[in-house]
Amino acid sequence: MLRVSDLSLSYGGPEPVLEGASLEVEAGRFVSLVGPSGSGKSSLLRAVMALQAPSAGRIERDAGLSPSDIGILFQDDALLPWRTAAENVALGLRLRGTDRRRAAAEAETWLERLGLAGFGARYPSRLSGGQRKRVALAQVLALRPRLLLMDEPFASLDAIVRARVTQDVVDLVEREGIGVLLVTHDLEEALALSDTVYLLSQGPRARISQCYTVPIPRPRNLVRARTHPAFGPLFEQLWRDLSQEVDGARREEVEAA
Amino acid sequence: MTPFNRVWVRQLLALAIALALWEGAGRAGWLNPLYAPPPSRVGGALVELFADGGIWPHLEATFSAALGGLALGIVVGVVLGAAAALVPLVAELLEPVMMLLNAVPRVVLGPLFVIWLGIGIASKVALAFVLVAVLVFFTVYTGIKQVDRRLVERVRTLGGGRWAILREVYLPFVAAWIMGNLKVAVGFAFTGAVVGEFVGASRGLGYLLSFAQSTYNASLMLALVLLIMAFVLLIFGAAGRLEKRLLRWR
Repeated sequence: MLRVSDLSLSYGGPEPVLEGASLEVEAGRFVSLVGPSGSGKSSLLRAVMALQAPSAGRIERDAGLSPSDIGILFQDDALLPWRTAAENVALGLRLRGTDRRRAAAEAETWLERLGLAGFGARYPSRLSGGQRKRVALAQVLALRPRLLLMDEPFASLDAIVRARVTQDVVDLVEREGIGVLLVTHDLEEALALSDTVYLLSQGPRARISQCYTVPIPRPRNLVRARTHPAFGPLFEQLWRDLSQEVDGARREEVEAA
Repeated sequence: MTPFNRVWVRQLLALAIALALWEGAGRAGWLNPLYAPPPSRVGGALVELFADGGIWPHLEATFSAALGGLALGIVVGVVLGAAAALVPLVAELLEPVMMLLNAVPRVVLGPLFVIWLGIGIASKVALAFVLVAVLVFFTVYTGIKQVDRRLVERVRTLGGGRWAILREVYLPFVAAWIMGNLKVAVGFAFTGAVVGEFVGASRGLGYLLSFAQSTYNASLMLALVLLIMAFVLLIFGAAGRLEKRLLRWR
């Protein structure tokens, strides 16, 4: 579905922030990118969405996957404050040629599916953080993406709301067979959600240092996934590898100083 | 809840007491009516202005100049502000001129406009226009530069092109900034119109003020000041309602 090969990304400085990253996302699979801050995780998603040009490498999509089949959910909900929840959800549909009435009807359907029936006429300023996040999710899902990119989309939510919204996403992704590439700092979340987890090393010149396969079966319940026998050892391994990456980078910094 | 608990009741009461004290002091001969005529004489001058209907052409002249300057100033300010924010070359040329116009008290241009455009309405519209256009220019210029990039990216990732980004992000964002400054712009427009009439005119509230000053008619002058305040407050109220309606998403 999506193949990233030897990708390097730079902000214009002497060193690339990310170097030689390769990964793959298949349809219906959940792939996570974890790593320290500054390792270029978010930049990689932006490059896939063509919001940032790579300095080297290739980003290839399957022949049947057009740019309009890719949806992205940012850390900030980035809803238009002057549009109601329903208008925000309908926006992408209207921009892609759906007539106003049908777009409005679809928007209401998606809001309902995400537990926001009756909230369509509210402006984002009148919604809670969790509700806004659901609206942003409905906005992306209404376009029926086949590949969903998520950049720490639920980081700002409190624990209960976060657990609920995340489970909603997992259910939808499993039902619709959507491929997902998720960026997160949360190792537990990465393992509970994903089929594959990629670990990035400390930037600059961050690279993909490890790849883990998560053998927890689907459909997944995010609470029960954490009690699966494979979860604990994988979490320990991931935590150890990440700590080594961060400690190693610190040692290099001290030696260079 | 007694009526006295309401803020506006207390404010009205305080105003009534102040006016009564002023009236009493005037009648007792403690105030020189040449400089500070009592409220009853100011009220009389106000009634007289409307009684013979002579005020209407003056009101029409001031309102036409102020609203004409306001409309022109908003249109030109929006166009120039948007052009400067989106085209760097235009910003290079316009920004120093606007900075200069912003730095000087623009009413000093009033006499120049009278020389250029005569004592008719055009010179008043021009002064109101310059006052408003510079304000709107900076409002739009700064507004566009501060547009939230995340919203632009959001619309782009949803499939929107340049026109969609302009329509969905830039226009509403800039409109909100303009609405936020509309009351200031209204005040500027009336300042321009009245000062322009003060400098040289044959009609308008500014002209009447100038006439009242030259005849030492303090009652008429205070009546005119009250009248201008009342009309500007009415327009402020309308602008406030419009702002509340258009920015209800805030």
